[in-house]
Amino acid sequence: MCATVIASLFMLSSNPGQQQNITRLLAFSVFYPFQFYFNQTTRIKNVFAENRALKDQIAGLSVRVAQLSECGLENNRLTGMLSISQQFPFTLVPARVVVRDPSFISRSAIINVGKEQGILPYMPVMTGRGAVGKIIQVMNRMSLVQLMLDPANRTSVMVQRSREIGILETDNADDFFIMFRAHADVNVGDTIITSGFGGIYPRGLLAGQVKKLSENRDPIFKKAIIAPEVNFDRLEEVFVIKLPPQWASFRQELDTLETTSAKGFAQP
Amino acid sequence: MISDIIKWGIVFMVSLILQTSFVPIISIAGVKPDLLMVALFFFSIKYGVMPGIFVGFVLGLGQDLYSPSLLGQNALTKTIAGAFIGLFNERMMRSDPFIKTALLFVAFIINDAAYFIIQIIKLGDPISILFSGLFAKCLPRALYSIAVAVLFYIWELIPKPAIRN
Repeated sequence: MCATVIASLFMLSSNPGQQQNITRLLAFSVFYPFQFYFNQTTRIKNVFAENRALKDQIAGLSVRVAQLSECGLENNRLTGMLSISQQFPFTLVPARVVVRDPSFISRSAIINVGKEQGILPYMPVMTGRGAVGKIIQVMNRMSLVQLMLDPANRTSVMVQRSREIGILETDNADDFFIMFRAHADVNVGDTIITSGFGGIYPRGLLAGQVKKLSENRDPIFKKAIIAPEVNFDRLEEVFVIKLPPQWASFRQELDTLETTSAKGFAQP
Repeated sequence: MISDIIKWGIVFMVSLILQTSFVPIISIAGVKPDLLMVALFFFSIKYGVMPGIFVGFVLGLGQDLYSPSLLGQNALTKTIAGAFIGLFNERMMRSDPFIKTALLFVAFIINDAAYFIIQIIKLGDPISILFSGLFAKCLPRALYSIAVAVLFYIWELIPKPAIRN
C-alpha cells in the first residue's frame, strides 16, 4: 500500500520528462495495433446502414452536381481574386482518432499520423469546425494530442468582433470560460477565435461562442462562459496543421547559446 | 493460480483496449462507463486488499500514460479504490448483489473525489469543482458503469449447462 502510494506521489511530484516519454512509447506501441484494429472493426457495423443512405443521397446529389460545377468555377475565380491561399498558408495533414483517453476526463487522443508524415510536437490540431488541441508527443506513425478539454491546457483567444484578448480554459472539461476585464467589450453570441499570440495556433481558428456572461466576485474581471465549437465526444477525423510553434526558432537559438556558453565555461 | 493471473491479465488488457476505442462510441451525452473500474471491482472483491491495491495501481498507471499533464493521478485514485473495494472481499464477508452494487457506487465516489482533490492541489483548480464534478460527472458515470456491471451479474445468474466430469 505504502509503496504504491509513494510511487504515485513521486510521479505526481516529478516533472513529466524523458522517462514518461519512454514509458508512453513502449505502452502505446504494445496497445496500438489492438486499438487500431478494434477501432476499424467497430466501424463495420455502420457500413450497411451507410450504404443504403448513400445510395439515396447519390440520386439527389447527381442533380446538384451540375449546378455546383458552375458554382465551383465561379468560386475558383473569386478565390484567386481574394488570394485565400496567401491568407491561410498552412498544410493540413488529415488524421483519424484511433484512441481516446480512458480517464473520465478526456485529456488526450491518439491519432494515426506521426514522424513519418512530418508531424512535430506542438503542431496545432483542428477539425473543420475549429481548434481541437495540440500535438505533445510524436512517434513514428502516431501522435498524442492534448485536447483543449485538458484542465492543464490554456489557449490564447480573442473576440472576433472586438479583438479583446483572453485565455480560454476549463476546470472540468465541460465548462469553458474566459476571464475578461470588467470593461471588456464582450457580448453573448460573440465568436471566439484563436489569437495567434500563444505561438501554437495560427490566428483565426474558431474556438467557440460566448454562451453566457456571469458576474464574478472579483469586480476587476467578468467571466464569459464559452460553448466550444467542436464536439469533443464525437471526434473522429482531424487535421494537423503543419505549423511548427512560432517560438521554435527562439528555442533553437537559446539552445545554441546555452551549448556555446557551456563549452566556453568548460575550456580553461 | 497461473491460469487466474493469465485470465485476469487478459480481462484487464481487453478492458483497457475497449475503454480507449469502443467506450467513446457508446457514450451517452458524453457520459462513458468506466470498464477498468468495473474490472478492478470484480477483481478486488474476489481477491482482497493487497491484490486490489497492486492491480489498481497498475491499471491507474496504464490510464495515466494517456494523460498529458498529470502522471500518477489515476494510479493513486485507483490504488485507493482498489484498497477500499478489497476491504469487502468475498473471503471476509458474503454480500448480495445489491450491497456489491452500492459498494461499486461508493468506490466511484472515492475514486473521483481523490481525482478532483489531486487536480485541485496540482493544477490549482477551485475547490468547487470537487462538488460540481461529483454531481455532474461522477454520478452519471457511476450509474452507467453500474448498469454495465449488472450485465455481468445477470450473466452469472443465467443457468449454465452442467459439465460432465
